[in-house]
Amino acid sequence: MKDLLKNSTLNQRLAAVALVLGMLALIAGDPYQGRTATIDAKELAVIVQNEVDHISPGDLADWIIQGRSDYRLIDLRSEKDFGGYAIPGAENVPVSQLTDHGLMKNEKIILYSDGGIHSAQAWFLLRSQGYKGVYMLRGGLEAWNDDVLFPQLAENADAATRINFAKTAEVSKYFGGTPRTGGTQETSARPSIVAPKLDTPSAAVPAAAGKKKKKEGC
Amino acid sequence: MNAPFFKYGLFNDEVSLIVAVLIGIGFGFFLERAGFGNARKLAAQFYFTDMTVLKVMFTAIVTAMLGVYFLSVIGFVDLSLVYLTPTNLLPQVAGGLLLGFGFVIGGYCPGTSCVSAATGRTDGWVFLLGIFVWIFAFGEMFPLLESFYNSTPMGQQTLAQLTGLPYGLLVFAVVVMALGAFAAAEWGEKVMAARKGGKA
Repeated sequence: MKDLLKNSTLNQRLAAVALVLGMLALIAGDPYQGRTATIDAKELAVIVQNEVDHISPGDLADWIIQGRSDYRLIDLRSEKDFGGYAIPGAENVPVSQLTDHGLMKNEKIILYSDGGIHSAQAWFLLRSQGYKGVYMLRGGLEAWNDDVLFPQLAENADAATRINFAKTAEVSKYFGGTPRTGGTQETSARPSIVAPKLDTPSAAVPAAAGKKKKKEGC
Repeated sequence: MNAPFFKYGLFNDEVSLIVAVLIGIGFGFFLERAGFGNARKLAAQFYFTDMTVLKVMFTAIVTAMLGVYFLSVIGFVDLSLVYLTPTNLLPQVAGGLLLGFGFVIGGYCPGTSCVSAATGRTDGWVFLLGIFVWIFAFGEMFPLLESFYNSTPMGQQTLAQLTGLPYGLLVFAVVVMALGAFAAAEWGEKVMAARKGGKA
């Protein structure tokens, strides 16, 4: 044995080490199962307090218009509601199926529901399962309707606000909404909207398929 | 402390760029020391007269695989946070063939052309220029190619998912495959050298 070691070249010794490690791998198990998820309550509390886990409807609208595809947008509502209207590019995933939907723990996941409660619950669920990049649409679909689809310009708005509103109005039209000027508070008079056909990569591609831009890898 | 450090937010984008530069310099240095700044040496791989490329690449693969595997088994690396390039079968096969043709004809792959250019070789600079010209051309042509580019999507795939075999077994199989390839490469080099010697 000693002679064998003495007479072998460095390459042969390294090959032997690799072989031994390879054999150990046979009994060492699955690397993905090697960890158990733990919840760091303090970390989560800080995230909640600083609201870094929120995405505003305006930002999301910008991302969709830019054609960004480095995130997955998850609609937590029922299939029926999803069929009625959904934010372009969204995937319909009921809360009960969240962890079976093929979401990756290294993806940026944006959750939304009608208000904020379901998405907050789903956020906690995913965080506790070790998903790191989970965000919520601030205010849910209601805020999306108010801020993006049917933005409202107050009658007494100043010049700067009016200029800003021009951009908001364009965004609204892009998504098939109607910007409203003047002080009409008639929110119930919203026209029913149909999701427009948008040229977004995430809208066309099914779940887990080619969703990311190649911003990583070689 | 756990890896991947960037995904756990241990450093920000700027620091990640500095880290990338340092790793890139190290990568380039070792490619150069392996002789990969030389187009003749690289092209010789395809004529089976010099198997250095196969040996270096397979060594890197096996070393990285064993490292990542055992570090994640002991819980230091969270593999689920490591990015996997999604598979689009047909476009990636086509791209691989194209890269292979370029490699044989030009004598470099993208990484080694940088190494070659850095060591001052003219052919390396020409190759690098070609890369940028065609990156630009590809970008301009992308609308035409987009449907093919996104075709046959299979998502993020690993061998373990694809074959249903245990991870450890695959790790072992790749190690055995590499060792077999090293032995075959050494033997092949001797055969080719003898044949060349016989002819001369």
